[in-house]
Amino acid sequence: MGQSPSTTAAATTTTTNRRRDTAVKELRSFLTDDDDVITTGDISILPDACLASVFQFLTSGDRKTCSLVSKRWLEIEGQSRHRLSLNAQSDLTAAVTSLFVRFDSVTKLSLKCDRRSVSINDDGLVLISEHCRNLTRLKLRACREITDLGMVRVSENLKYLKRFSCGSCGFGVKGMNGLIENCGLLEELSVKRLRGISNVVDVSAESVGPGGGMCLKFVCLKDLYNAQCFGDLLAGSKNLRTLKVFRCSGDWDKVLEMVTESVTGLVEVHLERLQLSDVGLVAVSKCRSLEVLHILKTPDCSNLGLLSVAENCRGLRKVHIDGWKTNRINDEGLVGLSKYCVNIQELVLIGVNCTRVGLEVLGAHCVKLERLALCGSETVGDAEISCIAEKCIALKKLCIKSCPVSDHGMEALAVGCPNLVKVKVKKCRGVTSEGLGSLRASREALTVNLDSTEVESQDAASEGVQDGAIETPTVTNHIEGASNSASRSTSRSTSFKARLGLIAGRSLVCTFRKWSSFGGSSSRSQ
Amino acid sequence: MSTSSSSSKKIVLKSADNETFEIDEIVALESQAIKNMIEDECADNVIPLGNIDSKTLSKIIEYCKKHAESPKKDDNADIDEKAVEDLKSFDAEFAKVDMPLIQDILMAANFLNIDNLIGLMCRTIADRIKGKTPEEIRKILNINKNDLLSPEQEAKAREENSWAFD
Repeated sequence: MGQSPSTTAAATTTTTNRRRDTAVKELRSFLTDDDDVITTGDISILPDACLASVFQFLTSGDRKTCSLVSKRWLEIEGQSRHRLSLNAQSDLTAAVTSLFVRFDSVTKLSLKCDRRSVSINDDGLVLISEHCRNLTRLKLRACREITDLGMVRVSENLKYLKRFSCGSCGFGVKGMNGLIENCGLLEELSVKRLRGISNVVDVSAESVGPGGGMCLKFVCLKDLYNAQCFGDLLAGSKNLRTLKVFRCSGDWDKVLEMVTESVTGLVEVHLERLQLSDVGLVAVSKCRSLEVLHILKTPDCSNLGLLSVAENCRGLRKVHIDGWKTNRINDEGLVGLSKYCVNIQELVLIGVNCTRVGLEVLGAHCVKLERLALCGSETVGDAEISCIAEKCIALKKLCIKSCPVSDHGMEALAVGCPNLVKVKVKKCRGVTSEGLGSLRASREALTVNLDSTEVESQDAASEGVQDGAIETPTVTNHIEGASNSASRSTSRSTSFKARLGLIAGRSLVCTFRKWSSFGGSSSRSQ
Repeated sequence: MSTSSSSSKKIVLKSADNETFEIDEIVALESQAIKNMIEDECADNVIPLGNIDSKTLSKIIEYCKKHAESPKKDDNADIDEKAVEDLKSFDAEFAKVDMPLIQDILMAANFLNIDNLIGLMCRTIADRIKGKTPEEIRKILNINKNDLLSPEQEAKAREENSWAFD
């Protein structure tokens, strides 16, 4: 049913047991107690738990308004706040005591400072941790003033912490170690842009872990230098199930080899923009129960590495590959993946030049495939779409982006894929709105989205993410985008530079060939 | 008295204004409090609900009937989406009543311990005070003016609020 029972349950949890025990007694006295007549429409006699439950359905902003309604509301709103997000500027320290006397039940705390302000320091955070010893989740963003020493002291107070996430904070390896040692219940760890780690001069001298970590199930590392220092922690986290590493410099093959020596229960692995080769993928393949694998923009990974994972991890359900147009992963990898991993439900191929050959095997073996995305593949044309239409019986959602397909491909879809409910076509010049219109007309139950092709050059790479995980792959777009848009954010332009740098030696020729063929892609479809 | 014959058994509820409602036991079991009474064999043929008027009680019975008929979530993992949608739209329609009645239903649901109905009423109240000012909320819910914050208390609360993100 539509309501959220968990919220209601949370508000009434404390009273549920007691209520169950004494329900009969209560009801009896309720039935006979004539003095206790309900006054119509008087919220003041509403039990605290009900009022708290009303608040659970409100946003923080609305809750703030509610706190000003009456003395009782102020009190109950404060006591029933479990989740709190505070502006972590340095002045916050002075307000900490009064804040946490009012909000005395907070278990999920988020502290965010904006880039231009000075953040709270160690003393401020320690004070907070003294007031909130029951915290189960803590999130720190841009708290630059917090040092290793502060983190160690804070973690001593937070024994019940289960999730910790930090980004752009001042501490480093020692602070992380304090956390790992003191917060033995920690299950989830997310670390992004920690300057303290990048400042480590001698990497080999300092590493995070391996102490504790037995509860650790989820680790996410983003935009870190020297993130290899987390290797010991990862290797010691025997129960680790999810590992995500994004844009962390340095060699990851060795780390993954070390980690999977002892940790083989990984179920979900995301690796993006890393120096990672088939050696790393072979290491990952030791995790036989792997179900989700993302290898995005890891240009040294090839068919061989993918085949190794496919052969050993046959329970794979979701696979995302961004081949970055290096052509190291192609039909050969797809054929192997399809033959070994017949349970695949979701497959995203970006910048992977697969053809009919691979897609035919995919359709024949992976009969559970429900979601398929093909982006920036110069070999995916009408013949490939026809093949999908014919073979992928279970397919529900299909996304085609920046591929040389035409209206003929859409015609094929109209008569294929009996279970299709949604088709998205983006930046495919050969597909006209008429073509999609006839697809729509022939399949009433089908949702068809066309991103018109006119905006292609201006739009460039701004279409970052769609359907949650699909990123625009084409270098073409980046080059065009860079030339006609100077307003791009710094991160974008650095990634652009990095990408150009990485591919420069290997496949620039291919890239430019691709670029020139892109404009004339319609010739394929004629 | 055994609960095994619950499908055919009838329960009679009597409201504060002495109106009686005969309902299937399975409908009455939506109330955890009545369920406990029945299990503990404390329920006589007629259960008097001395503090719930007939208007409120008939609404509550309407709700319990509908929810008792609908397939339960834990019965079957893949109950058809239509039944879920149907119940959703029933709930939405059900909540379209004036605020005093909503509060009466909430009070009664709380006493009778009908978790889903408590949730529905709380969410309805929340929806109606969303985006309103404190003064508007007081008006909507008819809140006693004797309990207002002093100017100092309000200033302090506002200062504290300013640290929390919306």
